[in-house]
Amino acid sequence: MKRVLGDGWPVPMLDAHNREFFTAGVLTLQRCRACGHVQHPPEDVCEACQSFDLGGFASAGDGRIESVAVVTHAIHPALADRVPYAIALISVADAPGILVAGNVVGKEPDAVRIGDRVRVVFEEAKSARTGEELRIPQWEVVGE
Amino acid sequence: MPATPSTSAPPSSSAEAMRGSAAVAGIGESTYYRRGDSPHTEFQLACIAIRRAVEDAGLALADVDGFVSYTDQRNVPVRLARALGLKELRWTGIPWAGGGNSMAAAVQVADAAVTSGHARHVVVFRALAQGQFGRFGQAGGPGGIGASMAGPLAWNATYGILTPAHQCALHTARFMHDHGISQEALCEIALACYANAQRNPRALRHGEPLTRAAYHAARWIVKPFHLYDCCPENDGAAAAVVTTTERARDLPGRPALIVAAASGIGPPFGTFSGATLGSAHYRQVGKHLWEQAGCGPQDVDVTQVYENFTGPVLMALCEMGFAPPDGIEEFVSGGRLVGPDAAFPFNTSGGNIGEAYIHGFEMINESVRQIRGESTCQVKRVERALVVAGPGYSPGSAVLFGAPA
Repeated sequence: MKRVLGDGWPVPMLDAHNREFFTAGVLTLQRCRACGHVQHPPEDVCEACQSFDLGGFASAGDGRIESVAVVTHAIHPALADRVPYAIALISVADAPGILVAGNVVGKEPDAVRIGDRVRVVFEEAKSARTGEELRIPQWEVVGE
Repeated sequence: MPATPSTSAPPSSSAEAMRGSAAVAGIGESTYYRRGDSPHTEFQLACIAIRRAVEDAGLALADVDGFVSYTDQRNVPVRLARALGLKELRWTGIPWAGGGNSMAAAVQVADAAVTSGHARHVVVFRALAQGQFGRFGQAGGPGGIGASMAGPLAWNATYGILTPAHQCALHTARFMHDHGISQEALCEIALACYANAQRNPRALRHGEPLTRAAYHAARWIVKPFHLYDCCPENDGAAAAVVTTTERARDLPGRPALIVAAASGIGPPFGTFSGATLGSAHYRQVGKHLWEQAGCGPQDVDVTQVYENFTGPVLMALCEMGFAPPDGIEEFVSGGRLVGPDAAFPFNTSGGNIGEAYIHGFEMINESVRQIRGESTCQVKRVERALVVAGPGYSPGSAVLFGAPA
């Protein structure tokens, strides 16, 4: 899908912590290989057992809106024709306890509600700096 | 009654040792300006506020031997020591992380320095000239997003979650949803700050009263925040001199005792997590503050709560123990926060919204004025004055001032 905030909006700078999340094309979260704990955002150390042995976990990508706010004032010139847009925090069904930030599509921003069921979708983008193909997780409302 | 320091008998516990052992002996501030209007550099503003605080304490600049500030303070101690002609510098400190959430923690760091004897007269201050350095609240901080969509910023900025307003809106929206809180509760916070600012000639909103109709008619910034739910960005500086209560008693002014100070956060750590969504992260701060103070929220005479945005104030008041979430709307409504005779005297100088956004330090000075009986919105018989620093970010902090015996 096209980018919610437009093709001109900067893409994340990829690093060891976020590369899989922003490129895999499935919702990939960090999971500890030693104890199985899932944490987000990723860290160098497992917050549950302090192991450094951390890998990825492919989530099914089903979630729920835990909070939503609607940005109406464009804080950056590149967003002037993108407001209003919904910003949200999403809980992930198969990774309890964490929240993932994102935008919400498939509903007017003002109509998005806490409790709405959502499913991950992916924006396609390319890093101008490195040429890497990105698949940026976003959230589509699938039920109320 | 406020705790008094024991200068002869040994204290019975470490909490006892801290309680009231240090005090604010002097306060000062520059003129406050709208963003970009300061005729002075940020460093000059800092020097003005510090000089006035030291004079107010009845001290000389050469008596100062420590500086504490918070969060990316650009005016570093060695530069200040040189410009202000200090005799020596013995203590510098800065609590980590966040923004105005460390404002009361800075007072705590100064308290620790003088109580332990590491320094004698520590100046705590905050200075900002956003005209000179760019807006603190601008996307991604000074410099804007540009090439900085890296590291921690990538998780939010990719989605246009760029400013503290956006983050605080997400916490506020969940809090309102969970507890059936209406827009009017947020409006009450803004109205109280504006109303109290009308009594304060230092306040940038002095002479510009706000009505409920104007609040609702204002444009949205990020729902649920209207324009008036967001504090302005200003230029200015404020400072306070912290010393031991024993030394402060020999100075000409009436000291404001630091009865208790707390900072921190319990797990989960971080701005957004499932367990703390809809929270100001102040439960632990409240617990430790009241334990240390030996009193509770019902014993406070006047309260300042950092309001970069109105919503998190409601959460902070709940977490500090003033009202349950389901009762907070009633607690702040019906003019209960307005004026010196308010049921709950609140942000009596106008706060960040009404007086000036000096990252909350104006609230430290206002609390000292309340203890001294010198506020422009003076509450009667103030024995205890509470300051709650920036809610919504962690680690949070709070300080309770007390009147000397």
